[in-house]
Amino acid sequence: MPIVVEKLTHTYMPNTDNEFVAVEDITLTINEGEFFGIIGHTGSGKSTFIQHLNGLMQPTSGSVTVDGFDMSDKKQRAKGRARVGMVFQYPDYQLFDSTVLDDVSFGPKNMGFAADEVKQRSLEAMRMVGLDPEVFAEKSPFELSGGEKRRAALAGIIAMRPKYLVLDEPMAGLDPSGRREILATINSLRDELKCTVIMVSHSMEDVAHSAERIAVMNDGKLYALGTPDEIFSKTNELISLGLDAPRTARLAQLLRERGCDVPEDIYTNERFVEWLKRRMKNA
Amino acid sequence: MIRTNNIEYSYDGAERKALDGVSLEIREGEFVAIVGHNGSGKSTLAKMLNALLLPDAGVVSVFGMDTSDEELTLDIRKKVGIVFQNPDNQIVTTVVEEDVGFGPENLGVPTQEIVERVHSALEAVGMLDYAKHAPHMLSGGQKQRIAIAGVLAIDPDVLVFDEATAMLDPLGRRAVIDIASRLNKEKGKTVVMITQYMEEVTAADRVIVMSGGKIAMTGTPEEIFRRGDELRALRLDVPVMVELREMLEKDGIIPVTDALEVEEMAEVICPLLLKN
Repeated sequence: MPIVVEKLTHTYMPNTDNEFVAVEDITLTINEGEFFGIIGHTGSGKSTFIQHLNGLMQPTSGSVTVDGFDMSDKKQRAKGRARVGMVFQYPDYQLFDSTVLDDVSFGPKNMGFAADEVKQRSLEAMRMVGLDPEVFAEKSPFELSGGEKRRAALAGIIAMRPKYLVLDEPMAGLDPSGRREILATINSLRDELKCTVIMVSHSMEDVAHSAERIAVMNDGKLYALGTPDEIFSKTNELISLGLDAPRTARLAQLLRERGCDVPEDIYTNERFVEWLKRRMKNA
Repeated sequence: MIRTNNIEYSYDGAERKALDGVSLEIREGEFVAIVGHNGSGKSTLAKMLNALLLPDAGVVSVFGMDTSDEELTLDIRKKVGIVFQNPDNQIVTTVVEEDVGFGPENLGVPTQEIVERVHSALEAVGMLDYAKHAPHMLSGGQKQRIAIAGVLAIDPDVLVFDEATAMLDPLGRRAVIDIASRLNKEKGKTVVMITQYMEEVTAADRVIVMSGGKIAMTGTPEEIFRRGDELRALRLDVPVMVELREMLEKDGIIPVTDALEVEEMAEVICPLLLKN
């Protein structure tokens, strides 16, 4: 079953001078097992939107259901929330326990599992995110590098075995290798756990490579929803929204403007190279 | 004008030196980018440039002033200003123009001159319209521009951007880079840009690559990005257009080129397509 968002609107401080509609009339369905990307510039409503997916925020109007559980209903919300794991931006700032294992165990412990089960889940989660328990279990979170901290935070959520994994800018602040590694980890988690991944990212390149469908948010509204092919063929529109189209998409667009015959579905380097090779051979 | 001579530094309790024998020279009017993986020592190096940190060994000299001489600290900080990563940690007052005026006020600059400096600093970062606004109501990118204005109001010769774009969205990042380039070209400021985003260093005069507390590579962006495999081995990357160029050069589809940006790549590829 999916996450169904219907006519979701969220207004901050309603009926005051500071009233602000952060999310307006969003309707979409996130299917089980898909990699769903969300893009939009700062202030476009992305963060407000994703906080509705696990019931941290309640709609001003409209509804969100997770596997059929209505997230505005207190009892149903608890069941829905257990399926949605949320990893916030800079989650490494939220590590607090004395060892990595304790930190990772915090979630499953709170869910009321027996000690053995907690430990088994936590060790398994550490392995899945690439933190060898032999090396890391007893370390202090504060001894970890930036990328390792990010993994530890991710493991803490994975240990709760969510069906839907919501990630807010999971690569922010990491160096290029760290970014590549975390993205690879997210993809392998998805393969292993068959979980749905919902990822907010500023990096168009990362979204272009990983997402199966992309929601573009602008001014609190759903501006566009489609496959990467559909979204990234609209390079000029993305740029006019203050977003950063993938550079390869911009190159393709620039070449088209200069009279070259580059197809619209070229937005990654791999595709560009493949196309150009064929094109030159046929010439 | 800034020179570090074989400097070393260790944080308390750390096993490894954060800086381990770094010697470099930053020349007047230069735009230098310093890149490196998490923990490479690049931010530690930044903090050495205006005496926020002092080396355990070696010497940092700023316009001939030794940073370890406490009597010179204030003079050094008038010469070298730093913009930090998190804009929220750099805002101190509740009105934008007061925030920007905070530095010169503390330095005892006469009131009329503060007003002028605040005006021109806000103008330089394109935030003049926000002079009376509350900083906490601004976006991250706008706050960072206010932080830059605050440093500019001190009128330093050197501006250090210590991962100042890391927490911003693409638009905010672009604005900070554009402002840094403009201050360098139009106002003659020396710029030291510390970053993990390879796309942000293509406009620099010189790139310094840090790894394990040492300088691993140095050269123009064209020279550095010719060495993609070495960069990747140092946990870094090349800009997207350089990656494309590498893939196409390898198969002999395009001639070897120094193109780093979208526009430059278009100039290489367009003639090929139109000819065939």
